[in-house]
Amino acid sequence: MSGKRVGAITKRLLQQFRRDRRTLALLFVAPIVILGLLGYLMRGSSSAPAVGIANEDQGPLGATVAAALAGSSEISTTTIQASDGDSKLKDGSLTAYIVFPSDFSSQAQAGTIAPDVHLEGSQPGTIAPVLQALQQALISVASSGPGQGLHVQPHPTYLYGGPGFDTLDYFGAAFIGLVVFFLVFVVTIVSFLNERSQGTLERLMASPLRRGEIVVGYMLGFTVLALIQSVEVLVFSLAVLQVHNSGNVALIFGLEALMAITAVNLGIFLSMFARTEFQAVQFIPLVIVPQFLLSGILFSVNSEPRPLQVLSDVLPLTYAVNGLRDVMIKGADLSWGSLQLDVGVVAGFIVLLVVAAVATLRRRIA
Amino acid sequence: MSDSWAVDVQDVSKNFGDVKALDGVTLRVRQGEIYGLLGPNGSGKTTLIRMFVGLVAPDAGSVTVLGKRIPNVSLLSHVGYMTQGAALYPGLSVEENVQFFAAINGAEGGVKATLEFVKLYDRRNSVVSTLSGGMRQRCSLACALVHKPQLLLLDEPTVGVDPQLRVELWDGFKQMADAGTTIIVSSHVMDEAERCQRLGLILFGQLLTEGSPDEIRATAGRPTLEEAFLSLSERRA
Repeated sequence: MSGKRVGAITKRLLQQFRRDRRTLALLFVAPIVILGLLGYLMRGSSSAPAVGIANEDQGPLGATVAAALAGSSEISTTTIQASDGDSKLKDGSLTAYIVFPSDFSSQAQAGTIAPDVHLEGSQPGTIAPVLQALQQALISVASSGPGQGLHVQPHPTYLYGGPGFDTLDYFGAAFIGLVVFFLVFVVTIVSFLNERSQGTLERLMASPLRRGEIVVGYMLGFTVLALIQSVEVLVFSLAVLQVHNSGNVALIFGLEALMAITAVNLGIFLSMFARTEFQAVQFIPLVIVPQFLLSGILFSVNSEPRPLQVLSDVLPLTYAVNGLRDVMIKGADLSWGSLQLDVGVVAGFIVLLVVAAVATLRRRIA
Repeated sequence: MSDSWAVDVQDVSKNFGDVKALDGVTLRVRQGEIYGLLGPNGSGKTTLIRMFVGLVAPDAGSVTVLGKRIPNVSLLSHVGYMTQGAALYPGLSVEENVQFFAAINGAEGGVKATLEFVKLYDRRNSVVSTLSGGMRQRCSLACALVHKPQLLLLDEPTVGVDPQLRVELWDGFKQMADAGTTIIVSSHVMDEAERCQRLGLILFGQLLTEGSPDEIRATAGRPTLEEAFLSLSERRA
């Protein structure tokens, strides 16, 4: 091995990077952005599930347990009416509510403590802290109070999902869309860039083709491929992985298709800003990673720090993920206002991206 | 009457940063003429050809093609443009490439005749990425002329094509010109220049001289085009 020859390769590599400022910027800026975002997201998000307490107990025990729950660091509690509970679960302001029935104290004297726990259920990660906090509160009350050796038996009920609902059921709904979005984006941005680098774009621009015809033609071509991929992903997720689904399969497919078309147009649009395939691939950490972190896939949007929520609210993936989860976990259909919003926003993004891609596609080289 | 000119370039200039790519070029090409743009690499030939199809906008001056002021997108269906370096879809077959360019120019049929013209009909099912450089060049040419354009722009069309086929292609160009097609071809190969009816010599973005090969030899007082070109270049420098 010749040190000189090895040195030549090393030097050439560094020389290339000196002229590619964008790659250098990515190499040194992207880690800070991504880690910073992740740190802000994890430290700044409110992680404690919001739990409502409805105390209907005519005896003293309900209030004692409620006070113990309020002191728990696992959850943050509010006092509610039992009749409001379900609507608060549906609108997302509570992840669970606990009802102490009117005969709660008298039951306890008979030896059994059985509060009703109503869980929203769509996020498996939030269930354990609620049940754990309740368990601890009941144990502390039981051990300090008069009723030693009580039989503690909470009754959990689930608005969505159920006791068998697992992490894959929650993430699967979002990943069905994410996988399609990511792959379609990468394929589109690289192949549109090929058109430029192999010189055929120059020929297209010297033909009577209109810019809109090029963009729409591309969109339709990739959409055909993306739809086939969507079917594959859907069938695999539902049939093989057995991801929980309470909704209409056609509706899931429709949402996936919208995501795929969004990705196609995002790819075409961003390819205008890359000169090489290398630069095109660099859009992945810049475009995909922040969307992945902020779209509510990992951390639900309303638990994010306020400034990040603003960012999440302008990303198309946020709406697509929310729509897919609503359909698959909650069984939403198009009569739901939230789903109409999700579909409308994603469709709006598609129109916006088509217009932007046509506007940025230049006929003139100079 | 500008209508009788296939291409009418009036005093165009173009700068790329500090580089003067074109500097006050005026030239006219008659309909049905084979016009050769001669000049070394970087002299401005490709920039000029790109202006004819609206890919490059002049900083000053005007370009009129087939009686229409450029840019004019609709006009482009009457123009064939073969870019420098065979710009093709490597994953498609020869025939699929030619069919695509026929379709986007609104041409019906003509694919078979065009493939026979460039001697690629037997290889029509070959995928372009498997072809030799010369074959790609011919396929690229086929894509530029499948829609029977009135004006054919060829940017160094015979690079990588062997001498025998080059002669055959030029015979073909002659036939097309006789049938009324105007052909503008850029080259730095002097034996190709001999085959043009008129030549424009371009150097540093300026039109040095214009005329038939005989006229240019006479102006320079040299026996060959090559010597004439070198002599004229030195005079300018």
